[in-house]
Amino acid sequence: MIELLNVSKTYNSGKSNQFTALRDVSLTIGPGKVTVLQGPSGSGKTTLLTLIGCMARPTSGRIMLRNMGTASFPGFEAGEGVEITSLPERFLTGIRRSAFGFIFQHFNLVRGITVLENVMLPAYPTGEPHDAVRKRALQLLEMFDISRHAPARVDLLSGGEIQRVAIARALINNPSVIIADEPTAHLDTKLSREFMAIVGSFKKEGKAILIASHDPLVYDADLADSVVLMRDGQIISSGSAQ
Amino acid sequence: MNRYLERHRNIADFALSSLMRRKGKNISLLLVYTLVVFIIASVLFFIHALKHEAALILKDAPDMVVQRLVAGRQDLIPAGYGDKIASIRGVSEVTPRLWGYYFDAAVGANYTMMTAELQGPEPEKIIIGNGVARVRRLAAGDIMTFRAYDGKTSLLQVQSVLPYESEIAASDLVIMHEADFRLLFNFPAKEATDLAVKVRNPSEISTVAAKIVKQLPDARPILKSEILRTYDSIFDWRGGMIIVILAMALLSFIIFAWDKATGLSAEERKEIGILKSIGWETADVLLLKFWEGTAISLSAFLSGVILAYGHVFFFSASLFEPALKGWAVLYPEFRLTPAVDAYQLAVLFFLTVLPYTFTTIIPSWRAATVDPDAAMRS
Repeated sequence: MIELLNVSKTYNSGKSNQFTALRDVSLTIGPGKVTVLQGPSGSGKTTLLTLIGCMARPTSGRIMLRNMGTASFPGFEAGEGVEITSLPERFLTGIRRSAFGFIFQHFNLVRGITVLENVMLPAYPTGEPHDAVRKRALQLLEMFDISRHAPARVDLLSGGEIQRVAIARALINNPSVIIADEPTAHLDTKLSREFMAIVGSFKKEGKAILIASHDPLVYDADLADSVVLMRDGQIISSGSAQ
Repeated sequence: MNRYLERHRNIADFALSSLMRRKGKNISLLLVYTLVVFIIASVLFFIHALKHEAALILKDAPDMVVQRLVAGRQDLIPAGYGDKIASIRGVSEVTPRLWGYYFDAAVGANYTMMTAELQGPEPEKIIIGNGVARVRRLAAGDIMTFRAYDGKTSLLQVQSVLPYESEIAASDLVIMHEADFRLLFNFPAKEATDLAVKVRNPSEISTVAAKIVKQLPDARPILKSEILRTYDSIFDWRGGMIIVILAMALLSFIIFAWDKATGLSAEERKEIGILKSIGWETADVLLLKFWEGTAISLSAFLSGVILAYGHVFFFSASLFEPALKGWAVLYPEFRLTPAVDAYQLAVLFFLTVLPYTFTTIIPSWRAATVDPDAAMRS
């Protein structure tokens, strides 16, 4: 479970270009649920995702992670919640690596290297044996039906294939939360539906899914357990999608 | 421990495939880098091997050579000087030496002429160095002509040619019998070019030299250590001259490498952002850049050093031998005995590998310390 309590985020604090992206946001995200952050551009969806995903720290407020395999985080015991707001970078990175899988709007694959290497990348710093990571990456590619492209450079893939590589990469460290930022923004309707079908399979596995999107195919989908409507850095409404 | 090694292995593995992506840039960098290391290492190897060779040759040299000075210039030394020196306590042996130079107008070369008491040639015969044999196209049994002091022609038969191994020291040598030497140059009897002196106890050499000067004020003793020092200075000067010229090349390389290594492209910055956003720590990114820098600089260092070793010890430093060996008609052709100074190699390593590796890490460190959410927003 992820709990946010009065979280705010201000960029360039004290400078002439100071700007507050999030104001006093409180939210709870349960395990095995699909939560959709809906709102126009500039509403603070991506900022909220980066804070939850330990990519940045809030300016004020607290973010707690509970029952998310925190025992595997260095320095924490089983059952204990982790208050990530004040953790040093090394711990944040460790949590980001093991608890979260990211699917970016532009997929952010590393160009020039193979599909297989892209999928394996998040596992490299963990020190897990190379062969084990490779085996798992191949299984993921097989699962998404792109194993034939494993030795190919990512630059040569189609949009749908790139998306599936990005999803496989997000799963390589077996995270309990999947964070996706506008995942269907660059996909046609067919590929967007395919993506939502994959999200459905994650949900069945008990993973929490957090998606920022202003695509009706996402926030109107039956899969969505709750939709959080955002505007100007604040939550306007939050509740069950149905 | 295993996880630690695996982490290094994984990141090093990715560093290599990362380098392969920018083949053109990295191969050109590697080539220029290797060339710079090759040239500097060649000079260092060559100078060190020559010094080593000179030291080996001088090992059997007399402890001291005594010359006679007239008006500040070297003159012939009377045999009586030798008797006086032999009577000084501590002197074990005094040998008069006859030597000089002969200019061969036919080939424009200078020969070193000398006599040898032990294993010297028979009268009217000579032993010649490889260089002399080469320029005059002579072999054992051939006749060599010399123009004597009075213009008359003197014919001497080649008894043998000195072995190839001695070429560095004896390339231009003509060894003849004492009688032929005196006849050829009209060299006065009971006089010598100089005296070779051996001293029983090496720590007494300078005391003996002082006694010689006291007894024979016009004598000039030259100690073996002084000769060694002179050789060292000459080789250092030649090497230094080359290195000054190379400094320009090195400087150009540093500017080139700095430009290539420090200028992180927008693509590289974006990649660092992606790596951070998918769970890489700043330390992991730095490790990646460290392995990339090390792969380039270590490969260039090793290839440069190996090529330089081959160039100096198998091809006799053929690329810059005129500058390093001096200017002469009689270039010795020889292979140097491999002699490498570990200290010099270590200095070369620290001056090439470490600076390059650090110049690649610093800009990456700056890029890697930004918040990973930059990738999310790109």
